[in-house]
Amino acid sequence: MAKKTPSERRGAMVRLVESRTVQRVTPPLLLPASPYLDLAGEEFGRQLLLTTSNNGIEYCLRPDFTLPIAKSYLDEGMQGVPGAYTYLGPIFRQENGIPVEYDQAGLELIGQPDASAALDQVLTFARWALAIYDITAPGVRLGGVGLFEAFLAAMGISPQWQQRIRHRFGHPVAMKRLLDRLTNPGPRISGGVPDARETIVDIVTDNMLSASLSLVGSRLPEEIAERYLEKQALDAVPIPPERVQLLVDYLGVVDVAPRALERIRIMSQKAGLDLEAPLATVRSHAAALTALSPRAQVMFDASFSPRLDYYTGVVFEMTGENGDILASGGEYSRLLTRLGATEAIAASGCALWTDRLEQEALLQDE
Amino acid sequence: MSEENLVIAVPSKGRLEEETRRVFGESRLPITRPGGVRSYSGSIKNQPQVTVRFYPAAEIARELIMGAVDMGVTGSDLIYEGAENGEASVVFVKPLNFGQANVVVAVPDAWIDVTHMADLADVASDFRLRHGRWLRVATKYVHLTRKFFADWGIAEYRIVESAGATEAAPASGTADLIVDITSSGETLTANALRIIEDGLIMKSEANLIVSKAADWTPLKKAQLEALLSIMGGVPPGTSTLL
Repeated sequence: MAKKTPSERRGAMVRLVESRTVQRVTPPLLLPASPYLDLAGEEFGRQLLLTTSNNGIEYCLRPDFTLPIAKSYLDEGMQGVPGAYTYLGPIFRQENGIPVEYDQAGLELIGQPDASAALDQVLTFARWALAIYDITAPGVRLGGVGLFEAFLAAMGISPQWQQRIRHRFGHPVAMKRLLDRLTNPGPRISGGVPDARETIVDIVTDNMLSASLSLVGSRLPEEIAERYLEKQALDAVPIPPERVQLLVDYLGVVDVAPRALERIRIMSQKAGLDLEAPLATVRSHAAALTALSPRAQVMFDASFSPRLDYYTGVVFEMTGENGDILASGGEYSRLLTRLGATEAIAASGCALWTDRLEQEALLQDE
Repeated sequence: MSEENLVIAVPSKGRLEEETRRVFGESRLPITRPGGVRSYSGSIKNQPQVTVRFYPAAEIARELIMGAVDMGVTGSDLIYEGAENGEASVVFVKPLNFGQANVVVAVPDAWIDVTHMADLADVASDFRLRHGRWLRVATKYVHLTRKFFADWGIAEYRIVESAGATEAAPASGTADLIVDITSSGETLTANALRIIEDGLIMKSEANLIVSKAADWTPLKKAQLEALLSIMGGVPPGTSTLL
């Protein structure tokens, strides 16, 4: 079979994003920076290439396509209408202080009636894109955000602990610190500490007033007192050691998808947790992926999650021979509500790094 | 002064200048500033191959990172802050035992529930839900703060850049907490702020620093080695790192 040339591959990519069932969109190169900073905070903010207009408003060079696409879906009042958007073009970031330009392609499915079918469509899209570059055996890493949330909920631990643990999901270092803290609880706050809520509120209020802090501008005295009491209560009633161990075991699962999911099923069953439904969801998407690319190794990594908390459900990454991420995506059904949607809107999508795909194709040619 | 001169950047005013001149003086390398405090260039007695330039300390860090000067004296915090990975562009040759200060995370003392960074992570994670805006951190140490907070898994916050009087930001309502430099902690205490127990971002000190990014000719490397050996306390071979 004759190999494709780079321009033929590019042509095929353009045809893929312009196929009849989707709408290719091209958001502006220069975008207001504040939606990005509002959504993703400083961690993503440091990657933006910023410029400031004379009236002080910050703009950035388009750092991704997902946000402007999701935002214009809402701005144009498309709520209730299923949208399928594709894109292909440059994005700009800075890495270690050096500006870089990448080429990205991708698909965003917003407000689709069947979220599960939508995710499979996203996986298929990624698979086709990789095929254009003759990549038939990518490394695939699956993660289960929805599964982990269900796992936490089923564990029967306090909502505050659930929230603390969930918040550290996808950040191995922070998670490990928390697990260490849970495994070796530190000395408790003991004796002589006021425990009446009203007393604590008074103490905090006095302290804030004497420091000339606003009582309403930042954290409220009640909020501080409540969290103080909550912290004491949590320290007094830590998570039972066997639950902590279960959590450690769960997060340590990395294996070929069917085996990994089976291990999670067995360990949760032993612990009396019912995870059948969320496990079945991940299993079916893993199977869909395997059916799409029989030669790919589909791994499930229980601790894998993007660090953006609007991801939900199943997330994935596809890597090339040298470990570069070629495609990544998943479900992010909290994104639209983050951007101001009044009701929940399902969304899923993926982004492809076409420069890396092209390099990978050249590797395969050799 | 020729192109081949070794350019040393020295703090242009205050205690940092005095201490730098004292350190060089003790090594019998007295710095002269013929034009007085308004002049920005000088020299070292009996070292005609050396040019001294006087800069504000933060500017020295940037000049070293960019390689516009060969060597300089400034606080290590300013190198880390001067650019993302600024420290990769220089060699810290010798700590000079002055200008010691810590870059720390400090919260209002009234936040009795926040004693450790893990508490701050919890507060940050639901701050926006409660208050409809991000937790705000006032600082002039943007790079150091971002890196430290990222290491702690804290992403839900915004930095408010502050040029001066950072410690006043919580009381004035422009930020909820601060990252700032402190030597004794008195300014923080006076403003009812408390350093978080594991909130030490870095210990800083005035250092003799060599730029890796400068244009190093064999002659300049030899001059650097000669000067460092006069100063003493530095093992030979610094120039091989450049």
